[in-house]
Amino acid sequence: MRISSKLWAAALMLLASPSVSALEIFACEPEYAALARELAPQAKIFSATTALQDPHQIQARPSLIARMRKADLVICAGADLEVGWLPMLQMKANNPQVRDGQPGIFYAADQVETLDQQTELDRSRGDVHAEGNPHLHFSPERVAQVAEALAQRLAQLVPEQASNFLARNEDFQSRWQDATQRWQQQAAPLRGQAVIAYHSSFRYLLDWLGMEQVGDLEPKPGLPPTSGHLASLLELTEQRPVMAILHAGYQDPRGANWLGTRSGVPVLALPFGPGDEIEDLFALYDAVLAALLAVAE
Amino acid sequence: MNTPWQRRAITLGACLSAPFSASLSAEILSNPAISLALDGYYQEGERPLDYRDTGFGLGHTELALSATIDDKFYGKVTTVLESFEGELELELEEAFIQTLAMPAGLSLRAGRFFAETGYLNGQHLHSDAFVSRPAVYRALLGNHYFDDGIRINWVAPTDLYWELGGELFDGAPLQAEDLDHPETVGVYHLYTKFGGDIGIDHSWQVALSWLRNENGQGHAEPHDHVEVAEVVDEHEHAHGARFTGRDLYNLSAVYKWAPGGNYKYRHLTLSGEYFYLNAPFAEDSDPHEPGILATEEHEPEFFDGWYLSGVYQFAPSWSVGLRYGEMNAALWEELEEEGHFHDARIREVEAMVAWHPSHFSTVRLQYVDQRVTELGDFDDQVFTLQYVMTLGAHGAHQF
Repeated sequence: MRISSKLWAAALMLLASPSVSALEIFACEPEYAALARELAPQAKIFSATTALQDPHQIQARPSLIARMRKADLVICAGADLEVGWLPMLQMKANNPQVRDGQPGIFYAADQVETLDQQTELDRSRGDVHAEGNPHLHFSPERVAQVAEALAQRLAQLVPEQASNFLARNEDFQSRWQDATQRWQQQAAPLRGQAVIAYHSSFRYLLDWLGMEQVGDLEPKPGLPPTSGHLASLLELTEQRPVMAILHAGYQDPRGANWLGTRSGVPVLALPFGPGDEIEDLFALYDAVLAALLAVAE
Repeated sequence: MNTPWQRRAITLGACLSAPFSASLSAEILSNPAISLALDGYYQEGERPLDYRDTGFGLGHTELALSATIDDKFYGKVTTVLESFEGELELELEEAFIQTLAMPAGLSLRAGRFFAETGYLNGQHLHSDAFVSRPAVYRALLGNHYFDDGIRINWVAPTDLYWELGGELFDGAPLQAEDLDHPETVGVYHLYTKFGGDIGIDHSWQVALSWLRNENGQGHAEPHDHVEVAEVVDEHEHAHGARFTGRDLYNLSAVYKWAPGGNYKYRHLTLSGEYFYLNAPFAEDSDPHEPGILATEEHEPEFFDGWYLSGVYQFAPSWSVGLRYGEMNAALWEELEEEGHFHDARIREVEAMVAWHPSHFSTVRLQYVDQRVTELGDFDDQVFTLQYVMTLGAHGAHQF
């Protein structure tokens, strides 16, 4: 009797607070998996998507339901980026810890001020997000804020490891701050440069670097480039200098390549998140800046 | 927040849900999500056991409203407006609550909802890749089986997706005709699903289901008045299943492929299902007064049907699909003193091309080549031009 009650107590403790080694983290995008690795490297971290998948259009696949069923913490961009699949996963996974409003779900967009919040939602203007642009992982300041909030959340979830998470956050913040200063110095030649980009994927990057997006390959958010629209962009490149045409790895390069060939403006396929050779957020920023600087005059 | 739907969402939100949450994303779920699906078509020809008439018509106009009720419950209502032979019909397709906070991977759903039998039945019609459900669905599930009841399901804490579920339903839509004393709880249903990924390009799901229907068996006896007229009534518009039996088994499989797992530009969906309807008729002929049926002909032991479907999205706004389906049943027909079973069959090939300029709109052209035995007089070829569009909340779709 006594043994079994002790066993039960142990089992209940295991259930009540996941130990950090067993902590299972489900990240909607690889950039948040990378951030989680900075703060909780011992945790079992799973990224639902890769940087080569459009995060707007992910299937609520059985494998993702299974992963979410076991997750102690789900980290997503939020601001409706995952609206086409995340609610379905939450509904199907039967995991009460990661329902909205619970400590087990963390939306990055809730921790920061997003850009381009809409006061008017009209689908004739494309698939726009009312809560602003969700691709905020290219804003170093916002990444720092999200890391801070994520460390607090981890500490709340596993109180006995709180000091560990907070110490890791301190370390990350100081490394991130140093890197940000370095990036800003490197990026000086990019200030004021004009680009044409696909979607508003690089909105935060351009905002941070003081660059200007003068054209969008998408005629409207979420809609593929049309030949008429591309022709108008070609005209634009004839009227004013454009440094580069940007698209993310998961976006079809054909429109960008067509425009690049006709206009002579270099086309850059920028990595959108960690993956393959890019192992963390630092490497992601390094790679993106190196690519941009290579075509800057 | 200027469109009428948004305004209505706010008003209803204030009436129905908890005060606005500080969290933006939580706000989405705590306010009712309202969505409307519009379906209209022009069709040349008609199809057996299908509700779409020849000419201009409307399909299912769905109005759905859903929200988390509190931290423990979620609720959803879907009403369907349907126009049939000039009559407007209003139907409640879904009206259920579901638990959000049960432990151990369990969840309970109660009210009216789609039975989890087969791959398509759990899905809304507006997300289908073809104009109509396969013949086997139209014959054995009344197109789309939803009913009043309760479900409990469990998701296993494994890397491989494994779900087990049980459902109890009233069973009225799957009830055989002329039952004297139907059971109050007519349908008992058990199902299980498995699924996973193979690399990052491939995903799959397999499901098995056994639906026990206490009120499904018919009585094909000469003294029972089986209306012959009804048998050949091609315009019959019953919401229930045309063919019912004691046990309905289903095996379904779905496979999806997208290069790099990126569904934006290209992806392929292959799906197939097999339905086996066991014991459509009760063996209850009176031994002292054997019916014609008992002496001359055995009642069929089973009906079945299946389909195989492939849909390929080859560009962000374009997809094509091909589906082949069969349905094999029999009809009891009584003429003067003699009754006979006649094979009732459908063989259909469907080909479609769809243009979907955004997530919210689809225009589809479909061609059907069909061979129909005993279910009425139908054209061999049917053309349909259809639109399906949704407005309001951006609903998440199932796999």
